[in-house]
Amino acid sequence: MCAACHGEAGNSANPAVPSLAGQPRQFISTSLYMFREGYRKDPQMSPMAAMLSNADLNDLAAYFSSQKPAPPRHRASAENAAAGPALAQKFNCTQCHGPRLLGQQQIPRLAGQQLEYLRGQLRAFKAGKRGELDGNMTAAAQALTDKDIEVLADYIAGLGG
Amino acid sequence: MRAAVAAALLAAFAAHAQDKPAASPPPSWQQGKPPALSESTLHPFAIELTGKAAKDLPVDKLKVPAGFKVEVWAEGMPGARTMALGDKGTVFVGTRQLKDVYAVRDSGGKREAKVLLKGLDAPNGLVFNKGTLFVAERGRITRYDNIEANLDNPPQAKVLVDNLDPNNQPGHFWKFLALGPDGKLYFNIGAPGNIVMPTYMEASIMRVDMKGTLETVALGVRNSVGMDFHPKTKELWFTNHARDWLSDELPNDTLHRVSRKGMHFGYPFCHQGDTPDPQFGKQRSCKEFDAPTLKLGAHIAPIGMRFYSGKMFPAEYQNNIFIAMRGSWNRTVKQGYNVMRVVLDENGKVAKYEPFLTGFLVNEKADPPMWGRPNDVMVMRDGSLLVSDDQNGILFRISTAK
Repeated sequence: MCAACHGEAGNSANPAVPSLAGQPRQFISTSLYMFREGYRKDPQMSPMAAMLSNADLNDLAAYFSSQKPAPPRHRASAENAAAGPALAQKFNCTQCHGPRLLGQQQIPRLAGQQLEYLRGQLRAFKAGKRGELDGNMTAAAQALTDKDIEVLADYIAGLGG
Repeated sequence: MRAAVAAALLAAFAAHAQDKPAASPPPSWQQGKPPALSESTLHPFAIELTGKAAKDLPVDKLKVPAGFKVEVWAEGMPGARTMALGDKGTVFVGTRQLKDVYAVRDSGGKREAKVLLKGLDAPNGLVFNKGTLFVAERGRITRYDNIEANLDNPPQAKVLVDNLDPNNQPGHFWKFLALGPDGKLYFNIGAPGNIVMPTYMEASIMRVDMKGTLETVALGVRNSVGMDFHPKTKELWFTNHARDWLSDELPNDTLHRVSRKGMHFGYPFCHQGDTPDPQFGKQRSCKEFDAPTLKLGAHIAPIGMRFYSGKMFPAEYQNNIFIAMRGSWNRTVKQGYNVMRVVLDENGKVAKYEPFLTGFLVNEKADPPMWGRPNDVMVMRDGSLLVSDDQNGILFRISTAK
């Protein structure tokens, strides 16, 4: 069921749908938990998660986190690829997502994530419309300009692991 | 006139809101991290929001002293932290990152956990008294009367006291709740960050009576999420978390005894009674503050503490303190992740400080270093000791082996 949107073994081919392959285990279980409990809302994901038990969420998290992430198909522009690392520092992305943006624990891997998804999430955080448990991303996104979001999303979507 | 002032205030606020911050704020747990440690990769450990089943965990690695045994008592309560015991035997369990309070009922030796209350804001503090469950959330303390008769249909919350976190602080906003011998509820208001100057009522221990009137009990307390009253002297004792990002060895987390009202334990000026803070320490002297009773270890994270006054454990355990150590994150070599035992002499001085329940810590240099984290301890009516593990959502029971 997941593969219909998230792709074979969690490697999404749809720019608006996130890849799950190689995401930290706790990020996947946390995201599903938030969809199920209504703390994060999405027309597709909310009803999917509503049916699942904690054991189901743990099983899905174990499966997708152990899949190998495919190299990104997206290529960042030379300009954005050059500007990206400094922005990721300035906006404290690397403080939680790690120096190579590979994520850890409940914090998602960003490197190579789908472009539209990254852009949409950053915009939603900035608008205060993306549910989260600790408020860190909503706070971090307030400083981003529209241009920053474009550069960051383009740079990050093109990053290999 | 009033409308004009309000309009001016609104305009000022709107103008302020339009100012773009230059860069994003770091997450609150990094507050006070010095430039010298900018490369440090130390970070807090996230609990399993979906819990873990005991069958998937190395629970056989848990160790207690000879003559005791430890077993899984109940599971399926993700984020299980503070516990409270009802008159009819219901064990209530609070959470911090989740928004739930659980009720565990023991029916014929089989424990069933259910979500009792949902959608609360960091419902960490719980007290049961005379049929009522009191819940301390981020900004308020509420009561649920006659709760044990209504576990399947809990009543609406009645607010005892509100507006405890008017600034929506990013730091230590979760609260522990304890019932005093005076019938008042004691709780912490934590410091609004790792090392920052607290504002009014922050970094304190407060108490509230049943009419909602507040009093300050102690000041200079960075964050206490464990308190209990000595069974004989009736004095308040509490655990306290010291600041992060100083070093692996300093400052110690601490155990405190409140022998008079209005004591000040030093934060943010002085840590562990003798260590001036690098930033705030020059403003004051450590000598003017009250010292802790015991230094527990640096970054050991003492949470729940209870005096043992049960009938099951051997006589030398009477009036001992058990402390659940949630364990380090801000330390390169991790410590804690156990339940410690503190033995006091007749004068209330510490005579012994030793491990009681161990085995959660696997590798002190690994990330993560542990498979479980003790969060609270509670003495049951039969004298056994329950230990909550918020990493997995499990309650363990320690009893004397027959």
